[in-house]
Amino acid sequence: MLITCPYCGPRDVIEFTYQGDGNRERPDPASQNFEAWNAYVYDRLNPAGDHNEIWQHSGGCRAHLKVVRNTLTHEISSVAFMRSDHGRGDHGRGDHGSAARRKAEDKA
Amino acid sequence: MSPRRADTGGRIDRLKTIRFTFDGTAYTGHAGDTLASALLAKGVTLYGRSFKYHRPRGLLTAGVEEPNALVTVLKGEVREPNIPATMVEIHDGLVAISQNRFPSLAWDINAVNQLGGKILSAGFYYKTFMGPVFGPLKGTRFWMFCEHFIRRAAGLGSAGSAKDPARYGRMNAFCDVLVVGSGPAGLMAAKAAADQGARVMLADLEPLFGGSANWSEETIDGAPAADWARRTVAQLAGRDNVRLLPRTTVWGYYDNNTLAALERVSDHKDQPVKGEPRHRYWAIRAKSVVLATGAFERPLVFPGNDRPGVMLAHAAERYANEFGVLPGERIALFTNNDSAYRAAVALKKAGAAVVAIADVRPELSPEMRKLASEAEAEIFAGHAVVATEGGKALSGLKLQRFDMTNGALIGDARSIHADCLLMSGGWSPTIHLASQAGAKAEWNAARQAFLPPKPAQSWIGAGAFTGSFSTAEAIAEGRTAGIAAAGGQSTPSVLPVVEAVPGDPDPAPVFEIRAKGKSFVDFQHDVTAEDVRLAHREGFVSVEHLKRYTTLGMATDQGKSSNVPGLAIMAEALGKPIPEVGTTRFRPPFAPVSIGSLAAERFGDLKPERLTPMHDWHLANGATMYSAGLWYRPMIYGHAGETVEQAYVREAKATRESAGIVDVSTLGKIAVQGPDAAAFLDRVYTNMFSTLAVGKARYGLMLREDGLAFDDGTTWRLGEQDFLMTTTTANAGKVMQHLEYFLDVIWPELKVHVTSVTDEWAGAAIGGPKARQILAACVTGTSVDNAALPFMGIVRGEISGVPVMICRLSFSGEMAFEVYSGAGHGTHVWEALVEAGKPFGLVTYGLEALGTMRIEKGHVTGAEIDGRTTARDLHLDWMLSKKKPFIGSAMMDREGLIASDRLELVGLIALDNRPFNGGAHIVEEVDEANPHGSIGHITACCYSPALGRHIALALVKGGKARQGTRAHVSDPLRNRFGPVEIVSNHFFDPDGSRMHG
Amino acid sequence: MVERQSPEPLSPLEPEFHVGSHGNFEHGVEIILTETRPGSIVQLAAWPGEEKKLIAAIRTVTGLALPDGAGGGLSDGVKSVFGFAPGKFTVADEAEGLAAAFAKVVTPAIGTVTDLSHGRTAIRIAGPKAEWVLAKFFAIDFALPAFPTGAGRSTTHHDVFAQIQRTGADQFDIYVFRSFARSFWKALCHASEEVGYEVQ
Repeated sequence: MLITCPYCGPRDVIEFTYQGDGNRERPDPASQNFEAWNAYVYDRLNPAGDHNEIWQHSGGCRAHLKVVRNTLTHEISSVAFMRSDHGRGDHGRGDHGSAARRKAEDKA
Repeated sequence: MSPRRADTGGRIDRLKTIRFTFDGTAYTGHAGDTLASALLAKGVTLYGRSFKYHRPRGLLTAGVEEPNALVTVLKGEVREPNIPATMVEIHDGLVAISQNRFPSLAWDINAVNQLGGKILSAGFYYKTFMGPVFGPLKGTRFWMFCEHFIRRAAGLGSAGSAKDPARYGRMNAFCDVLVVGSGPAGLMAAKAAADQGARVMLADLEPLFGGSANWSEETIDGAPAADWARRTVAQLAGRDNVRLLPRTTVWGYYDNNTLAALERVSDHKDQPVKGEPRHRYWAIRAKSVVLATGAFERPLVFPGNDRPGVMLAHAAERYANEFGVLPGERIALFTNNDSAYRAAVALKKAGAAVVAIADVRPELSPEMRKLASEAEAEIFAGHAVVATEGGKALSGLKLQRFDMTNGALIGDARSIHADCLLMSGGWSPTIHLASQAGAKAEWNAARQAFLPPKPAQSWIGAGAFTGSFSTAEAIAEGRTAGIAAAGGQSTPSVLPVVEAVPGDPDPAPVFEIRAKGKSFVDFQHDVTAEDVRLAHREGFVSVEHLKRYTTLGMATDQGKSSNVPGLAIMAEALGKPIPEVGTTRFRPPFAPVSIGSLAAERFGDLKPERLTPMHDWHLANGATMYSAGLWYRPMIYGHAGETVEQAYVREAKATRESAGIVDVSTLGKIAVQGPDAAAFLDRVYTNMFSTLAVGKARYGLMLREDGLAFDDGTTWRLGEQDFLMTTTTANAGKVMQHLEYFLDVIWPELKVHVTSVTDEWAGAAIGGPKARQILAACVTGTSVDNAALPFMGIVRGEISGVPVMICRLSFSGEMAFEVYSGAGHGTHVWEALVEAGKPFGLVTYGLEALGTMRIEKGHVTGAEIDGRTTARDLHLDWMLSKKKPFIGSAMMDREGLIASDRLELVGLIALDNRPFNGGAHIVEEVDEANPHGSIGHITACCYSPALGRHIALALVKGGKARQGTRAHVSDPLRNRFGPVEIVSNHFFDPDGSRMHG
Repeated sequence: MVERQSPEPLSPLEPEFHVGSHGNFEHGVEIILTETRPGSIVQLAAWPGEEKKLIAAIRTVTGLALPDGAGGGLSDGVKSVFGFAPGKFTVADEAEGLAAAFAKVVTPAIGTVTDLSHGRTAIRIAGPKAEWVLAKFFAIDFALPAFPTGAGRSTTHHDVFAQIQRTGADQFDIYVFRSFARSFWKALCHASEEVGYEVQ
């Protein structure tokens, strides 16, 4: 399985660490709502099909990624940074192919 | 030249003689020979004994699908079993032996198994050895008795036990187009893709590229096909966008067009070049793949079809044309399709007499009749072979009229004298990789074969793989596939012109001739047609079950030649068409893979290890090293004649009496920087860090989200926005990920950066009553007295000209300091401290003494923070701030986590003065013979020099309330039972007066 | 060599660092292995939105104009810089003192400076087979079009995290954690044996 890291490009799954179900919502830190905390800490969706997952590119740029993966086919339909501010234009990113790399590829 | 070897032709170099042995007999062959072709040239007919019945077996094929001629290759002490002789390239000094025979291949004692054939039919083991015992010779117990004999008699070659000294390698590769198979289709595809400018890899499991072009005797553009292949390969070899991988089996097709291949780099050489691996595992990420893997010829199923001398038709053609070897002198053929006629002509040309062609089809085309007359062979249309004769070699066969519409045999059998029988049951495209890649194969009634499915991943098929069996089609499809795979547009072009023997690609739908005798479907696992029918009679209807019950297709050849005939026979028994019966999905590997190639460089000396900056000093000064995760740390610095216990007791005692120094560089260290660093630490730790003054350190505890304890360590405030966090050695990576997760996912608004600086700093902890004096003797640039360096204070100075950071904190319970310096200066500082300590009796100590002193102090480590304990369990509840929420604060007060009967940290003293063992249980009742009712377990233990007792830390139910009571330690595995006193975990200097000084 | 006040730091490779030709070198060496031993290795990280200012600071301190884009980088032979993660850069210099120099220009509003001069070991692999040998370890595409000169990559070989900068058509500088460096060096030498290598 390959995951296309928005910074590093497509990499083997071995470089990534699964960091759990991406649908969880952490309650307000001061909240004493046990139900909400219990759901956050223990409840996990387990869909047969597309699943929102969090992966860390621990063997690369170490960014956390929002990944939509089909649990039946391993097909990954979308990958984005967890931090929305990594994807902004002023970082010169947004997709894995940097301008410099594309230019180099065009030349080759 | 031997009588069976032609004087010219083929891929072999007759000027180079190669010497090798097979079963101890010396043979010669030529460069380019396989073990199979070389032995065949010497008239060898017997290559192995079959799996169950120990029947004599010869060569069935000339390639990777060979089920019979499996040999063991010996290299020094190392033996590699179950290699097809057809895949072994001979080299000087090659030593190969046959398998599954005793005492010899020619005289095999277990051949008597043939006589008991009925007994050893499908399901024999299940029926005889499974389940309850009814009578003396049944059931699981009987199996346990028989297993030894059966394992000896059945099966394949035996693996060796010697360590394999060979080198294995791994290679990661990226390409635009991977072409698998180098026959005419693959060569054209590679060339077309390369012409588009794509990065191309071309892999073939054979040593010589060309596939069928090497033996078809067709002409391409007026030249022999083999020459065309050679020319095309030479063109490809000259291009820098093409990588050629001969002897490379692509064996796995995984997600995202990731493919696995095994290159046999040096098996064919007497000696590998220095540094060259034996096998190289290729992990290939291809943008697209061209599958040009060809097709396997199928055997026909008839009585005696496994006798040595019965061979696939194309295999004989290959031996004759590619190796110049005749498999026999009087050759008969038996076929259900046209492809065998070409073989007849080829063998005639090569010098054999073709005595008969039996064809199940009553009507033959004029072209086939013409080929038969060219071969000077008598045609028996509408005939079938019903028996073969001979022992370790074929002497003749019996023919009978055959009605292919109903399978009936008519009239009398007629004998034909022949020393070789070639059979062809049609062709099955080699769809294994496509099947691994996803979708299901589709049955094609005309070809009587499973054709590749629609691509589930990015691949394109070409040539015989797609069911297009002619070379002209292969060339055209190969070119189209190569262009498409490279993302190009196909333009009309003049294709190479092929002159080939004519033939209809569709066989007659005949798989089996039902006559008296054993007809083999799976040669390697000795599965007969009758076994398949027996499975049906016993109620097996699914192919998956059939496969498991009969073991059809489950041998090392994975049913390359047997799957389709087996299915056809099952379908007939079920009275269903083949597509309704379905086929099994192929799984990796396509062909056996050496374990060494998968392990590659991740074992032995090449296993990654982490060394501290002072590692070499430790080794040079008598340390016994201990592996902690990937790290290596000194366990003890033993003196001559000392036991481990004597050494650590001496080290710990000396530290408490004067001073000791220990390497703590392995502690996890994380730089936590940024304007929100303090606020972040307040959320991460259970206690406050925003209140920590610059230049001070604080002990901190982290919980997990579920409220259980996670890790502990001290964190140093080096600047307003700059903290140095330390973690336990074992949890350094986990804590780092934990912090990164919260910063990236939960609190992206916090301006905090975390960086692993574990390797930036060398750390030496020096403790003991004389520690401060030793520091004072060698530190410059700062005072180290109590005013300048109070408990948990940090100063910067120099030791031996090296900048250092010193924090006064203690794990040993003594007045102690951690001295940090740049890792590259770690040894300078360490040596300076050791030198300065000499007049004060400073000792170096290792993990054992470190552990002893921490047990005496009752400090927790990973043995107690084991993922099940809470801060309260460990008496760290004083660290749980009530002024702020922190990770785990919401969940830590759940009912189950505050119950009074939880396992709590206590100290134990052995009242019988005998050593404890980690993991031993604590029980209340004195019942040594029947220990029960565990109330907890020991997490760490030692002999305490400070107390003069054997002590332990333990997690005990309601432990705090039990302090001062007695219980028993129970460790039946190690025969240890005895009384203990439960005490506080703070054994030694509980008020910390030594540490505070 | 630059003048140092403190003693020369010890190399973690020392006992396994054997100058000379090794392996299958009879027909010439195709790999040169060296430890570059930069005086400074620094990690810089910008707060979101401050990356441009950090890139400007890098130019101020090193004179190197960093190209925009993921993994972009360059080297002038003395100083090198490349991006290895969003908003994060590694800078190396033959001279000491880089961290102090950056601390003056990278204000808390821009980002952070982390000195890794001791914590990372820089190993240079050069020669016509450099891509071949590195491909044995790392599952990334080393071909020049995919990995242009100057660019950086973060990747892992087993447990060994590595930042790799291409500093020439057939030259790469690999930054590994110091504690892993000897192990990685041994593996690198082992993998270079088949093509012949020289340690300089």
